[in-house]
Amino acid sequence: MRSNLNTWTVLSILFVVLILLPSLSIILQFSAETNENWDHIKEYMLDTYIVNSVILILFVGFFSAIIGSSLAWLISAYDFPLRGFFQWGLILPLAIPPYIGAYTYHGILNYTGVIQTTLRNQWDVTVNQQYFNIMNMPGAIFIFLIFLFPYVFTITKAFLARQSTSLVENARILGTSSWRIYFKIVLPIARASIVAGVSLVILEVLNDYGVVKYYGIKTFTTAIFQTWFGLGDLGSAIKLSGTLMLLILGLIILERILRGRKRFSFTTTKVTLLQPVKLKGSSKWLAFSYCMFVFTIAFIIPFTQLVYWAFLTYNQGFSTEFLRVIGNTVFVAFAAAAMITIMAVVIGNISRLNRGLIAKVFPKVTILGYSIPGAVIAVGIVSLFISIDEVIYQWGWASSYILSTSIVMLIFAYIVRYLAVAYNSIESGFERIGIHFTEASRMLGNNVTKSFFKVDVKLIRGAIFGGFILAFIDILKELPLTLILRPFNFETLATNAFNYATNEMIQQAAIPSILIICISALSIYFFHYVLERE
Amino acid sequence: MYKKILFYSFLVLSMLVLAACGNDSSNEDKSPSEDEASGEDEVNLYTSRHYDIDGELYKQFEEETGVKVNVIEGSADELIERMKREGEQTADLFYTADAGRLHRAKEQELLQSVDSDVLNENIPEKLTDADKQWFGLTKRARVIVYHKDRVDPSELSTYENLADSKWEDRILIRSSENIYNQSLLASFIELDGRDEAKAWAEGVVDNMAREPQGGDRDQAKGVAAGVGDIAVMNTYYLGGMLNSDDKEEVKVAKQLGVFFPNQDTTGTHVNVSGIGVTKHAENKENAVKLVEFLSSEDVQKQFASANYEYPVNPNVEPAQTLKKWGDFKEQDINLSILGENNPEAVKIFNEVNWK
Repeated sequence: MRSNLNTWTVLSILFVVLILLPSLSIILQFSAETNENWDHIKEYMLDTYIVNSVILILFVGFFSAIIGSSLAWLISAYDFPLRGFFQWGLILPLAIPPYIGAYTYHGILNYTGVIQTTLRNQWDVTVNQQYFNIMNMPGAIFIFLIFLFPYVFTITKAFLARQSTSLVENARILGTSSWRIYFKIVLPIARASIVAGVSLVILEVLNDYGVVKYYGIKTFTTAIFQTWFGLGDLGSAIKLSGTLMLLILGLIILERILRGRKRFSFTTTKVTLLQPVKLKGSSKWLAFSYCMFVFTIAFIIPFTQLVYWAFLTYNQGFSTEFLRVIGNTVFVAFAAAAMITIMAVVIGNISRLNRGLIAKVFPKVTILGYSIPGAVIAVGIVSLFISIDEVIYQWGWASSYILSTSIVMLIFAYIVRYLAVAYNSIESGFERIGIHFTEASRMLGNNVTKSFFKVDVKLIRGAIFGGFILAFIDILKELPLTLILRPFNFETLATNAFNYATNEMIQQAAIPSILIICISALSIYFFHYVLERE
Repeated sequence: MYKKILFYSFLVLSMLVLAACGNDSSNEDKSPSEDEASGEDEVNLYTSRHYDIDGELYKQFEEETGVKVNVIEGSADELIERMKREGEQTADLFYTADAGRLHRAKEQELLQSVDSDVLNENIPEKLTDADKQWFGLTKRARVIVYHKDRVDPSELSTYENLADSKWEDRILIRSSENIYNQSLLASFIELDGRDEAKAWAEGVVDNMAREPQGGDRDQAKGVAAGVGDIAVMNTYYLGGMLNSDDKEEVKVAKQLGVFFPNQDTTGTHVNVSGIGVTKHAENKENAVKLVEFLSSEDVQKQFASANYEYPVNPNVEPAQTLKKWGDFKEQDINLSILGENNPEAVKIFNEVNWK
């Protein structure tokens, strides 16, 4: 049994070391001496950037917690029209990359957009631009919120559906009102899930470059890019990244401290699904309208606009090359997401069973890659792979550089970057089941591995699939890493869409964007269907 | 048993990755690692340009010469960073849309000199690096556009004049993070000195009709919508709008006039898309061939008409759309200056709080 636990430990240590390597190269450079650029950054840039970043994450974090958890609660606990559809439909906004969403909403609202054009051409009304301007801080908050809240929604829903049953049903029997249940029971017990979701949202926001660049908001990420590219100073850029990393680690540690020793796990012998209560009368339509409203602004409106643009350009944007691009995209996303999921499960399981240092350190390591801007990670990874290649080359194992020109480097980068996404989902799955079932299984003579496959996997199946889907979709949308690390002639849908969008040819970006959305939507639906049927 | 499952799943996954690389090189037979060892009929290109026309031109080149063009796209700076790290095993060509970035690549010792009669003939010296380490392929002018009803072109004169208080709350221009603005300011640092350049930037910030947001096309739309009266933008964006699929964009563009500033003084700011052969290029011969191909009259004509950029080849006329705007006098500085002054320009922008 000991040796069995060791296998898991060894594997997870191996994974953690792998993940650490690229971050290490950044950490090493973090302590380098400061130069005059650094003084310039401190004097003119840092304050604004920190303030803007903090405003963004506070607002987006707060509202995504509210929207995500309330939707998750409604759908887990009640039955109303189209509930079955909303269960997965409300994850769909995640399929739209925020920068595409940002371009799209700007496209709808701006002077040549559908609203103003219709007003002008049909009714001869010219509006004050100010009221239609989305390219500002509130606009950016709106964009991040509507395209990222599904992180909170998915993780919280997976938790509520299986875990809140006894508490919620007891409360119902005692006649507690649903608002009261939401605030007094759901929010406290689902806190870990909500926080897990919100932390993903915040990390995505901190890492975003596309939205904030286009909307002209100076954040930490724009500062990193400005320093690196504008001042040509990678050293100072890495210093900024390091500061960002520290900030994020601080946030995570703070959250853990606040949560304290509370570990919500239940010892009921069977996990029962929460039975949704049928809503009647006006509350039925209220619930429906709320879900429909969110779905409309977060998916239908931007998607319809993209379809319209696709119609304008389909004759020039579509070719057989495209099929290969689609193949590339799906393949790398699938392979990387599968590996990420397995690694997350292994690390999550060992951290759960081990109460020592591993339990404290490993989960934080998984998030490292997620806390550094993609482009900076890319540089760390290129350096790493080239040094490995040099060794291979010098030992005569290959006649030229192999790894750094291959797709392996790209997939590895995805793993470093998106492990956190799957890990958060899987960790909250593990937290939900606690270790009582595993302990029972161990007492009955099963070893860790056997208990894992016989007991744990079945209990956290939803969380594992959830983690896989989130990672898969993130990789479909991923940009900076793909742009810089892909092999020759290797295009993905995201790079394709981005190239058009940056050239201010948003109409041409519509077709690849729609394909990203459709593939993500299909995978969301597929996994949802599989889960539901079981 | 379960331990086995655990390990097999890893095995399967690692195979999957290996299969991925194998797959990549077998059915596309253009994996650079494979071909570098065996064949010479290829050239590896890093580019930050991503226009459809570029891809079509590479295809033409392949058909004419049988040399396969392998492409990686990315932002210029990321590609420079990548080349630096790749050392001897890197791309053969570096192609980007700003002279400042080309100069940066040169400064980092990533490029090599190329001596080609064809290039010397096709590309004017001014648009070429002094050591022939990079060559301009297309020109873009950064001009002032104005609303035809609200602005009389006689009010316009120079870039410097944009700092005048008569333009208060009337100017639209994008953020300082944009490389075109950085190069514009870099040229003023060269022509007028740092202090005057800074005073200019300060003045423009004071006169802005709104905080910088969006791209060049958004500035044009802002002028049409009445947010401001004039905007600073690159000519080819306006060309693109005039020929857009979206008829509302065409309407916007038609309301705007193009003004080439500084015609009586230092000339209109011009930047290039340019290309350089890398220092360690393994396929140098093919690389030079591709550059020569891109500078040829026929190709220059296609560039110009598809993208509304100005051709560098003096024997080629600009596209019809551009010709209507007329000829103009260009800034007379060596474009390498844009790269040299870039960090200073970025600092000035930060100091005057140009968002």
